[in-house]
Amino acid sequence: MGEFDFSVVTTGEFRTWLVSGFLLSLQLLAASWLLAVPMATVVALCRLSSVGVLRGFGAVFVEGIRNVPLLVHMLFWYFAMPELLPEPARNWLYEHNAEVVCAVIALALYSGSYMAEDIRSGIRSVSATQIEAARALGFGFLAAMRRVVLPQAFRIVVPPLISQTLNLWKNTSIATVIGTAELMYQTQKVETNSFRGVESFGVATLAYLTVSLVITAVAVGFQRRFPVRAI
Amino acid sequence: MRLMAMACCALGVAAAWTARADQLVDIRHKGELTCGVLATDEPMSFVDPQTRTIVGYEVDLCRAVARKIGVTATVKQIAVGARIPELQQGHVDLLAATLTHTRQREAVIDFSLTTFVTGQKVMVRRDSGITNLPQLAGKKVVTVKGGTQEANLRKVVPSVDVVTFETAPQALVALQQHKAAAFINDEVSLFDAYAKMGPAQKDFVILAQNVSTEPIAMGLRKNEPAMKVAVDAALRELEASAEAQKWFFKWFGPGTRLQYPTRNFKIESDRVPD
Repeated sequence: MGEFDFSVVTTGEFRTWLVSGFLLSLQLLAASWLLAVPMATVVALCRLSSVGVLRGFGAVFVEGIRNVPLLVHMLFWYFAMPELLPEPARNWLYEHNAEVVCAVIALALYSGSYMAEDIRSGIRSVSATQIEAARALGFGFLAAMRRVVLPQAFRIVVPPLISQTLNLWKNTSIATVIGTAELMYQTQKVETNSFRGVESFGVATLAYLTVSLVITAVAVGFQRRFPVRAI
Repeated sequence: MRLMAMACCALGVAAAWTARADQLVDIRHKGELTCGVLATDEPMSFVDPQTRTIVGYEVDLCRAVARKIGVTATVKQIAVGARIPELQQGHVDLLAATLTHTRQREAVIDFSLTTFVTGQKVMVRRDSGITNLPQLAGKKVVTVKGGTQEANLRKVVPSVDVVTFETAPQALVALQQHKAAAFINDEVSLFDAYAKMGPAQKDFVILAQNVSTEPIAMGLRKNEPAMKVAVDAALRELEASAEAQKWFFKWFGPGTRLQYPTRNFKIESDRVPD
């Protein structure tokens, strides 16, 4: 047992477990991201709205979610939220892989609240004269946002959004606490069954690092290709 | 040459060791059977806080065996890791120390008939209608991370869908919230959790069938056939006279902390699975 033997965890059943965990982690990332970005955009617009109720909703959403640890979110959305649902909805959830659904909800909300602030900063960094000019030309608020401000804002917020994506990728590992069979969960399972802790976590580290570096490379590439224009 | 002499000497000692008188004759001669117990493992053997004496299921069994042999029993506390050496070196005559009978240990000591069977068990919700392990096929079962529960259950029900949590209470909550069909854990922990449920107990059932079994037996010195025959005969008599059953319920049955509703084994065999 003295020597490290990575082949133990990279062959046979253990490999199958690790690969399935890795794939589920990627799926968690994709699903949460696709939910988080539109949600964050809506929340950012709410916070910038001239309607007080919407501003209040946006502020409560962001501060309420961002200031609670992700671990607590996970446990809340898995153990507490379903109990508050009406019974048919709860039964539906429990029949449809509740571990994954609840993990995606927690991850999307948590990432979404951070992304909302990044998007809000991006929108605010677009000169106010842009929206004034758009409104003067007859655009409504939403149309001015959609056609004039947001295209400029998104270019500015892409780097921080990629950074949030990186955080989201790493945060998927927290889902192990609610029994979501993602990479961290499968790694612990392999360790328990193989007694090869270093090898199991070594492989997991490499997998997380690889995807993280890809995301970082995308960020660097984007900044080279589309440098922020001075306005 | 010196090496030769030492080897001869060692051989001589070994010969003297094996040529010793029969252990059972020795025990009868001194009128005393010394049982090695853990005294730290309630209710198998533990120190009664009131009387400060060592009591428990294995202590009662040991005294009964001594009585059948016709001697008195003395109880000696030993450490878990020292169990087999204490027996081999003759400090105790018999081990009654929550000793699991395994194939590996058979190479160094002998075992009496199995005196207790523990293992991992499954708790299900009563309304699930599950009454045996094969019915768990394709069902979601929760347990705690890091143990052998998942692997053991898969051996019995390969198609089971196991979800693990950081702690056993979390897994139990998941079962209570209808997130899974069953909860698997070590028997003692499971009965303990069940005992703490209070009125909610009526909604849950612990399946009688074990997922894995740990046969506990008395440890005997190797190559003492007369001793093994005498101990096994004593245990068989205890089983036949229902005395063994009485002690099981005294230490594990309803009214105790563990509240085992039934006794799912008999003291009848010294065979263990591979």
